[in-house]
Amino acid sequence: MSPLIFLGRKTLNTLESLGRSAIFLAQALCHLPRLEGARLWLRQMYFVGVMSLPIIAVSGLFIGMVIALQGYLVLSGFGADEALGQMVALSLLRELAPVVTALLFAGRAGSALTAEIGLMKATEQLSSMEMIGVDPLRRVISPRLWAGFLSMPILTVFFSVIGIMGGYLVGVDWLGVDQGSFWGNMQGSVVFMDDVVNGMLKSVVFGVVVTWIAVFQGYDLVPTSEGISRATTRTVVFGSLAVLGLDFILTALMFGEF
Amino acid sequence: MSDSTLVSVENLHFSRAGRPIFSGVDLEIPKGRITAIMGPSGTGKTTLLKLIAGQLMPDSGSVHVGEDNVHRLSRQALFRMRRRMGMLFQSGALFSDLSVFENVAFPIRVHTDLPEHMIRDLVLIKLQAVGLRGARDLMPAELSGGMTRRVALARAIALDPDLIMYDEPFVGQDPISMGVLVTLIRRLNSAFNMTAIVVSHDIKETLSIADHVYVIADGRVMASGSPASLREAQDPRVSQFIQGKPDGPVPFHYPSKNFYEDILAPSEVS
Repeated sequence: MSPLIFLGRKTLNTLESLGRSAIFLAQALCHLPRLEGARLWLRQMYFVGVMSLPIIAVSGLFIGMVIALQGYLVLSGFGADEALGQMVALSLLRELAPVVTALLFAGRAGSALTAEIGLMKATEQLSSMEMIGVDPLRRVISPRLWAGFLSMPILTVFFSVIGIMGGYLVGVDWLGVDQGSFWGNMQGSVVFMDDVVNGMLKSVVFGVVVTWIAVFQGYDLVPTSEGISRATTRTVVFGSLAVLGLDFILTALMFGEF
Repeated sequence: MSDSTLVSVENLHFSRAGRPIFSGVDLEIPKGRITAIMGPSGTGKTTLLKLIAGQLMPDSGSVHVGEDNVHRLSRQALFRMRRRMGMLFQSGALFSDLSVFENVAFPIRVHTDLPEHMIRDLVLIKLQAVGLRGARDLMPAELSGGMTRRVALARAIALDPDLIMYDEPFVGQDPISMGVLVTLIRRLNSAFNMTAIVVSHDIKETLSIADHVYVIADGRVMASGSPASLREAQDPRVSQFIQGKPDGPVPFHYPSKNFYEDILAPSEVS
């Protein structure tokens, strides 16, 4: 096969896959909410959101502690260690909390969603649901999508808060930075609309993209053990790359001065 | 389509990955009868059921279930139509996170507003019909293959469908389970007057319960008629299949080049 044909085929396949995933998303989301849907959504919020809390909390704590430690080493060289609170808060709110939460979410919840839906497809559970007259896009896919969309910003808030607490533990309790300076500098420099809201906007975008990728990969996979394995890998790889790529674009749009 | 016909398939063409599966299939499924669709493995019997249920789209031709042209229905109308159908999947396809009771209750819960005590009664009636009322609290992972298929059957008949489709119901069953399933299919048909389509290549069991049989091979209906007429069929392809001869017009070997030449050919492994 000539490289040109190979490239053309790859491009067409990618475009077709993108089109299918867009139709899939529209069909899963465009319908009236029902009480039964809310019950299924709450169940998924538990599996996708609550069950991800331990890994998010522990990661947030360690990342906050590491930023404080590294930040202190640099800032104290300039006698500016009182700016530690500002550094920890801005690093977490603007970048690290939304990005690391999304990466962890793709690894923990995203891969689980892909594998679960893929296994349901491989064991004909989705087909049998269709034959019972129940649309799996509404019953299985939609609650998982909404759970992912809403879990990500909430998990990001937890990550930021616990990360700041980790920074406080290392900076104030261990390294002796003044408590008043730590909080005061943070309060003085963090702008709600610029830093907090922009960080949350990022996490909303990441939540949509990572969950969409995870759920579509599960629904669209080849229903074999190899197919499930490949789709799970694709979820983590595509999800992580999409988060990092989108983070650059969003950061440029939000904080870039053109 | 006559009033006595529930499903009508006309000039159906279907291909997968460029390989033709059906090239002009015509068949009619009469109401209230058991129709068997038989044929060698890989002839597309399960695919035909999925085409009737609207889970696959044909290249051309039509499938009517009652008055509905299946492949012209909107997505919502298609799901409404499927409420009048039941399908027993080869694997059972039970929902692995729900108990036996909840699996059978699932269609009733999503399609009706019945109170809980009525749902309980209905589920127990269906489980009693398949002999598994005592297994209501078990999870699918705790069931044997035969039990799984019987629970799936109870779920398929939960809403008393007009049409029930059995996909290879006897595959991998021990003789007792097979006998139970044969009896159940026959009893459901006679007691509830359900129209049944049985896709199978288990000749003895299928011919014992079917009213009418279609034999499919090479993408077409090769023969049709009553079980008795097929047993006496003169067509060598039909008699090879019905009598289970290993070789004949339907070859044992997958198409390939001459064996002698193949063996003597230079090695393809470098």
